[in-house]
This record gives sequence, structure tokens and C-alpha cells, in this order.
Amino acid sequence: MVGMNAAWLLPAIPAGAFALLLLVRNFLPRKGDWVAIGAVTASFVLFFFVLHDLMTRLGPNFHGVSTGFTWLKIDNFVLRVGFFTDPIAIVMLAAVLVVSLMVHVYSTGYMHGDSRYGWFFTVLALFTAAMSTLVLADNLLLLYVAWELVGICSFLLIGFWWERQSAAEAAKKAFVTTRVGDVGLLIGVILLWKKVGTFDIQTVLHAATSGQIGHTYLTVALLFMLLGAMGKSAQFPFHVWLPDAMEGPTPVSALIHAATMVVAGIYLLARMLPAYMVITGLGTLIMVIGMITAIGAAVIACAQTDIKRIIAYSTLSNLGFMFVAMGAHALTGGMFHLLTHAFFKALLFLGAGSVIHAVETQEVGDLGGLWRKMPITMGTFVIACLANAGLPVFSGFFSKDLVLEGVMHGNTPYYVALLAWVFLSGIYTARLFMLTFFGPSRDHHRYEHAHESPPNMTLPLVVLAVLTLLAGWLALDSVGRALGFPGGVGEFVFVHEPEAYRFSFTVAFAATSAGLLGVLATMYLYWGGGPERARRFADYSPDVYALIRNKFYVDELYQAGINYGVLGLSHAVAWFDRYVVNDTGVNGTAQLTGWLGYRLKFLQNGKLPTYALAMIVGVLVMAIVALSMHS
Amino acid sequence: MSGGYLLLATILVPLAAAGLLVVTPQRFPNVVRAIALAAAATMFALSVWVFVAFQTGSGGYQLTLRWDWIQNVGILGAHGISVYLGVDGIAAPLVLLTGIVILAGTFVSLKIDRRNKDFFILLFVLVAGVFGTFTALDMFVFFFFYEVAVLPMYLLIGVWGSTRKEYGAMKLTMMLVGSSALIFIGIFAVFTEAGRGTFDLPTLWGIHYSPAFQKTFFPFFMIGCGVLAGLWPFHMWSPDGHMSAPTAVSMLHAGVLMKLGAFGIIRLGIQLLPEGAKFWMPALVVLATINAAYGAIAALSQRDFKLMTGYSSVSHMGYVLMGLATLNVVGINGAVLQMFSHGVMTALFFLCIGALYDQAHTREIPAFSGIAQKMPLWAGFFVLAGMASFGLPGLSGFVAEFNIFVGLFRTYPVLGGIAVFVAAITAAYVLRMFAIAFFGELNPRWASLKEISVAESIGAVMLCGAIFFMGLWPSPFVERIATAVTHLPGVTG
Repeated sequence: MVGMNAAWLLPAIPAGAFALLLLVRNFLPRKGDWVAIGAVTASFVLFFFVLHDLMTRLGPNFHGVSTGFTWLKIDNFVLRVGFFTDPIAIVMLAAVLVVSLMVHVYSTGYMHGDSRYGWFFTVLALFTAAMSTLVLADNLLLLYVAWELVGICSFLLIGFWWERQSAAEAAKKAFVTTRVGDVGLLIGVILLWKKVGTFDIQTVLHAATSGQIGHTYLTVALLFMLLGAMGKSAQFPFHVWLPDAMEGPTPVSALIHAATMVVAGIYLLARMLPAYMVITGLGTLIMVIGMITAIGAAVIACAQTDIKRIIAYSTLSNLGFMFVAMGAHALTGGMFHLLTHAFFKALLFLGAGSVIHAVETQEVGDLGGLWRKMPITMGTFVIACLANAGLPVFSGFFSKDLVLEGVMHGNTPYYVALLAWVFLSGIYTARLFMLTFFGPSRDHHRYEHAHESPPNMTLPLVVLAVLTLLAGWLALDSVGRALGFPGGVGEFVFVHEPEAYRFSFTVAFAATSAGLLGVLATMYLYWGGGPERARRFADYSPDVYALIRNKFYVDELYQAGINYGVLGLSHAVAWFDRYVVNDTGVNGTAQLTGWLGYRLKFLQNGKLPTYALAMIVGVLVMAIVALSMHS
Repeated sequence: MSGGYLLLATILVPLAAAGLLVVTPQRFPNVVRAIALAAAATMFALSVWVFVAFQTGSGGYQLTLRWDWIQNVGILGAHGISVYLGVDGIAAPLVLLTGIVILAGTFVSLKIDRRNKDFFILLFVLVAGVFGTFTALDMFVFFFFYEVAVLPMYLLIGVWGSTRKEYGAMKLTMMLVGSSALIFIGIFAVFTEAGRGTFDLPTLWGIHYSPAFQKTFFPFFMIGCGVLAGLWPFHMWSPDGHMSAPTAVSMLHAGVLMKLGAFGIIRLGIQLLPEGAKFWMPALVVLATINAAYGAIAALSQRDFKLMTGYSSVSHMGYVLMGLATLNVVGINGAVLQMFSHGVMTALFFLCIGALYDQAHTREIPAFSGIAQKMPLWAGFFVLAGMASFGLPGLSGFVAEFNIFVGLFRTYPVLGGIAVFVAAITAAYVLRMFAIAFFGELNPRWASLKEISVAESIGAVMLCGAIFFMGLWPSPFVERIATAVTHLPGVTG
């Protein structure tokens, strides 16, 4: 029976597909897209065997199963490639494999006819392999390796259309920004290794929770690690790369920049949560960072006009929300929201891609009224929107309430702030939907040419819509048990002990009211004649509107910092090197030697009296020295 | 003993090829090319053989060969100066590196038209020197080959170079010869202090020199060899030298020759004077950190491809020196891995730059835009080299740098943190260059650029193969290096 010992195959199969495609894709029919899809499908099927095996082993003393081999051994320094399967990994894997498979299928339509069609699937396969490795890694070093590999896939795919300067810039920005965070991650990993002597995550966690690592040391190491999580999950102040990453093809945005890679930071925190829980202040710090990101991004999303950027800011906002969950140690809710968010956000992006595919513009100002032309896209999109706004029965409702409940206890200010966040989510989601699908068409020409997407694009939409409708119910114990789980998600994913799902009417009522209020207010603003009411509303305070519209000028701030700070320093060093080290130090030495030679040569002037004089002076000096030494 | 002829062959094959080229008439350039290619392929095969023949189980110095040359004359006693060759786990990968780079370098040099016979003669003399230095176990022979490896550079740059080539050649030669004077002093100090009348390195390594002597003379080797390794602030010959040098010479120079410096620090510094090393390493690690950070920061604003790569080399050699300075097994392991990794990666950089320069006749980064559209394969090679240089896992740079970082964190955690951060700066300058020159809209001025040639592609594929090999399966390297590093004197676990 194929079981958890075969977990290594989950990344290995797509990795094999990647190697194959890298070498021979141009000789394969359809540029080998079926190889990538087949590999992901195989991993997806295998996932259920692994899951089934995990279920049979679940029990009070079960933590997970580890398999792997030694990759490198120097003296007593061992690097391992090992895979560890436990409920946290399973939840994340489910998100990765489902969305990856859907995106693969969708891309056969969306990327059809692209000149680098084969390359697209090659990188997608590598990404799936790397992302599964990241999820399953049993040690921090392998996690870091996979972390970097998903980063480079992100780079390659954001810059997929690199003939556009903006895409090339965005790819660079994404990689370098996250790389700065990764510096922190690597330092944190090595610091923990230095103390514990191994990269094995479970051993490190055990060492941290049993007090083998001093609190100051642990705090420093975890803070460095947090930088990595913030970079990857685009938390303030590292958030700037994610909206720009929308330069990549839309399926990429759905897979990498909504559902999987960007939640790697949250996953890392979830993995290391027992260690983070040891240090009291860190939770608050994570909550604050997450809250700034969540609220700030939600506000910005309200004033964007690019359909993909609106969704990107919505993603940022949800990532911040998950950070808050981790900071509040609400592991169950956080991981559950990670799963549901993966489905509905991927669905939003793929829906947006379907729209872009049809009208070939991303400006919501040029859309409108598309529901008549694209019924399937509209139908699935509305489901995703409702889930994103957290309205009842949709999956976002359950996961969001689970987090809110976790945050509520002892963190009242954060709870209130999150209610405001729900309100804002309602606003931008409704605005996005209204502008895209309702009202009159604002660009008649584009509207005329709009059409529903082909089945290979709508099918993934429908599948994800179904998942968006159903995934939330996994919170309920009865549903979980019916599917063979020990209970609801709280009985499956937890830090210390399982907790059964309790429906809290207060939380549900407060959050739903906030979300509904946002939705209704926005529907009023955009109802009927289009965005006129909204425009009047924005005109009440043009300065505030401009501030939000320009994303609080954070990008400009960074650009100035790079231009004057980083490049300034670089120019200074280069100048120093050229003029001080080289022209003064190196050439100066040469010139001094030459000058000395020139000067000294006049001593040898060929005149006998000069030589005689020099001799006499020399003898006298020697005599004086000799006499003075004797006396 | 028979294995020793293998090492002798690595030195004699390039010399024989040079001799054969001397008698080949200049009017048959294709014959010259054929001889050069055959010789380089033989060298490559021999270097692979050396690497494979090295027994990881037994360690120590293998494939040894010893011929007494001058003994019992004057100051020289028994085994005074002998042709004594052998490789340990550190030298074996470096011999392989030399073989790879010379073959790749020969492939790109096939297109040289002007006096290609003389070019290859000098190139092969240089390579004989490199092989000789890596395999010498006699201090005199070591120094002899060390000089043989440096001197042809002057002519190679001065005659076949570009962009202020006389200045670059002169500066490079003066600085390297000047630093050799320091090594020379150190060698004779050790010879005299030992008082055995021999230059035999294993004998000299076995002697315990007084701490005062070690502390006095270690800097002679550290600085003397350090100059060739690009040690700050004696690195200036490197960016300018690379800028002036022809492609194959840049490849060999940055790829292999700079490693001779680091190798010299191990052979003459750490192995002869371990206590001196222990005393001076904190100084070296500080200088090396400056190297790494300074090189990377300076590279960020360079406008010339070769200058940028030159500063990048300064930065990466800083990693090598940092790794050596840790004086622990993981760190030095990383340093040797980095020597190999940087060797193949930077050779690939220069190969690509050369392929572009020969068509475009400029190396100004901002002058280009979107050229990946015209040269996709070329861009692919270049990007791969760039990724290796910022330590992407799966490529050679990661394995090497990671070991160096771990080694540093054992002894110098703060500098280790800086080293990790420098890797991020590396990503910034590499990707910045790509974004400016390779991607974006095609500048119509470059509409006639052609894809990288077949010969150059073969060289590039070899180097890429080495990058992947070490990145995915580093064990063959580590197993060899570890046998030597764990037995270095004064090195902790």
C-alpha cells in the first residue's frame, strides 16, 4: 500500500516532469503541457493515499512521519533531504495541489498560442515540485532550499513576458525584496542550528519548548526567521513586491501570488508556532505587523482601478489577516483560512484572467455589464467575492470566524480592528464585482468582442467555485467525521490539543454585519449608472483619495531610498575604489617610484668633483659615527 | 607511483602542445586550432582522471611522483629540490576545475584570428603553471610554477586585450610580481628557519616553528598570496585586468588563477605556519568581509559588464578568504567548494560577455536593452551563471556559500550575518544587470545580434554542467575535500 513513506514522490514526480520538459519540451507534442499536467495529477492522486495513511495513524502520540536520505555530510555536519507529513502539511498540500492542478488546466487555454508556452509549463512543474518540498520539508535547510526555489520560479514567471520592461522590473523587485527577507530566514536557521546542532524542525521545536535555548537567543533567531516570513508573505514593509508581481500571467498570480507561495511565510510561522509561543512578545509583534498589512492593503484595494491589482491588495490584506491569526496563536483558524483563501482567491484571479482574456484590458473602468457575456465567469466570480467578503455559508465565512474567535480572547482591540477589516473587505469586493460585471458597458468596443472563455478555462473555475462553496463546512465536526477525519478542522490541525468547532453567534453576527454593511454601502455607491456616486464620494477629500490611490507613497519612498541610499553608497564605494585605492594607492605608488628614479638619477651626473665630494662626506660621516659609538 | 605520471602529464601535455605549436607554421591557423583543441581535450580528460582516481577512503597525498633534482650542493641537503608532485583532496577538485576551464576557454578562443598560434602557446604555458602549482609538493617547484602561471598573462593581455590593455597588463603584472616578492621572502625564511636544507613541503610541514617566527612570517604568505586572490585593498589589478583581458584569459584568470592565491594561503600559510594562521586569521576575516561587501556594493553601480563581473569576483573571492579564515572544517570546506564554484561560474560569465563583445564591440550595460530576444540561449547561460553567483539552491554557489556561512557562524556570527546579506546584494546587482540589458524592449541598434556560436555553446554547456553537478550532487567534491581539510593543522571540527 502506498502510504506516507511515499510522500517524497509528491515533489519528485513534478521535479521529474520539470527535468524532462527542460530538456526535450520542444520535441514533444503540444510542447509537453500534458507532461506537467500528468505529473501534477499523479501527485494529486498520490496525495489521497498519503492522506488516507495519515488518517489511519492519527492518534494521541502521533506527530508525523519522516522519510528521507542524507544529501551531504561533512564531519559531523549533516544535511538531509527529508520529508515530514503531518496535518499542518496536509492542509497546505491540499491547497497547493488542487490549485496547481486547476491552474495547469486553465493555462492550456489562457496561455494558448504564447511563444513560450512550453517554458511556462516547465516552470510551473518546477514550482509545484519546489512548493511541495517546502511544505513537506522535515528540516529547516531543505525548507530554505525550497523557499529559494519557489522564489526563483516566481521571478521567472513574473518576468514571463520579459519583453515588457515593467515585467522585467517587477520580477527583479519581487526577487530582491523577498531575498532581503530570506537573509533573515537563513540567519535564523543557522542560529538555531548552532544552538541545537541539527536542522530537524521537530528537534528544534522540542529544544525551544523545553527551554534548551536561552530566551534572548531564541528571540533573536525567531525574529530573523520572521523577516523571511514577512518577505515571502509580503507583510508591511516588504509588501511592495506583490502588487507589481501582477505583471506575470494571471494563472501565475492565482497559483503563486495568491494561493501558495505567498502563504509560505504563514506556513513557516505555523510550523514554528510552538517556538514562537515560547516568547510572549513575538505574538503581539506578529499581530501588529499583520494588522498594518491587513488594514492598509484593504484600504488601498478600495481605490485601485486595475482588476488584478485590486485582487492583489485583497491578497495582501488576507495575508495580513493570517499573520494576525498566527500572532494570536490561532493555528487552526489560520491554517483553515489559508486553505479556503487559496480556493477563493485563486478563483478570483482565474475569473479575472477569464475577463482579461475576453476584453484584453485590466482597467475596471473599461469594463462593466459583462455578466451578460460571461455567465459562467460571472457566476463563479460572485461566489469567490462572497467568500472573500466572508458572508455566511461561503467558505471564507467559516475560516474568518474561526480566526476572529481565536483573536477575540484577550485581544479585544485586535478583534475590533479585524471587524473593521471585514467591513473594508466587503467594500472593495463589492466594488470589484460591480465595476466588472454590473452597470452599463463603459467600453463598447471591448464589450462587443467579449465572449465566454473556452471549457478548459471555465472548468477550473467551476471546480474551484464548488470547493469555495464546500470547503468551509469542513469546520463542522459532523462533516469532518463523515469524510473520515477525526472531526472538524479543529480536531485535525492544532498545536496542543484538539478543539471541537463551536459556532459563536456573537462573532458570526458581528462579522457578517460588518461585511454586509460594506457590501451594501458599496452597492449603493455603484448601483445603476456606474461609478458617479462613488466619484462624488471620493471628491469629498481629494487628498485622502490621492494618498490611498497612490498606495501611501510607499513605493516612491523605497525608490528614493534605493536611488539615493543604496546606489549612492555604491557610487561612493566605486568612486573610492577608482580614485583613492587605484589612482592614489596603486598608480601613486608607481608614480612615486618613477619620480624617485627621476630625482635620484641626477646624483650620477658623471662629474668627478661631485663623486669626490660625496666620498669625503661619506668618510667623514662614517668616522663621526664610529667615534661617537666608541666614546 | 604510476599514478604520479598522471600528474606529470597534466603539466607536460600543455608544455608539449606549446612546443608543437612553436614549430607549426603560422599560415595554418586551422592546424593550430586542431592542435590546441586536442591538447585542451587531453588536459580535460587527464584532470577528470585525476579527480576520479583520487581515493576518498585513504585521503592524504595521492598520485605522488618524486624525482630528486638538485641535492647535496651548497645549502641544499638530501632531497634539496625535487620534482615532487601529488594531490590531496583540496588540490584534486582544483585540477578538475583547471581542466574544465581550459577546455571551455579553448573552445571560445578558436575564433581568434590574429596570431592565434602565439596566443595558444602562451595560454598553454600558463596552464602548465597552474597545473604545476596545484600539484607541487616542493616549495621551490610550487613557487616556480606559480610564477610561470602569472607571467604569460602580461603578454596575453598586452597583445590580445582591449580597453586600456597596456595599463591593465602592466598593473596586473607589477602587483602580482610585487606580491611574489613577499612570498619569496617567506619561502626563504621558512627554508632557513627549518634548517634541513630541503624545499620538500611535507618535511617542512612536519617541523614546528617557533610562535614568534610563525607570527612574523605568516603575513608574507597571507598578503603575498592574498594579492592574487584579490584581497582588499590589493584587488585593483583584478577589475582592470579582467576588463582588458581577452575572453579566454579572463576565464582562466578569474576562474583559476585567483584560486592559486587562496590555494597558496592553504599550502604555504595554514599548513606551514598554523600558529601564525591562528594569530592572523581574525585580521584576514575582517579584510575578507570588506572584500565581499565592498566588491558587491561597488558592482551595483558598474556600467561595464566586465568591470561588474570583476568586482563580483572580488566579492566572491572574499567569501573564499572568509571561509579559509574560519579555520574550521565546514568553513574551509566551503572555501574550497567556493573556489571551484566561483571558477566555473565566473568563467561562464566571461564567456558570455566575450560572446557579446565580439559582436557588439561595447560592454556598456545601459547601451543594451532586450537583447535576450536576439540571443535567448546566450541569455540563458548568462542567467544561469548569475543565479549560481547569488547562491540559488541546486546550483554550485549555494553549496559553497552555505558551508562558508555555517563555518563563519561558528566563530564570527556577526561577520557571518554580513556575508549572508552580501548574497542578497549579489542578487540585486545581477538581476539589475539582467533587467537593464537582457529584458525589456529590444533596442533596434542590436537587431542584428546573432546567437552564441556553437563552439562557445559547447564551452558554456560544460561550465553549466559543472555548476549543476556540484549543486545537485556535491558529495564527490565534499568527500575529497574533507579528507584533506580534516587533517589540516590547527583546524577545528
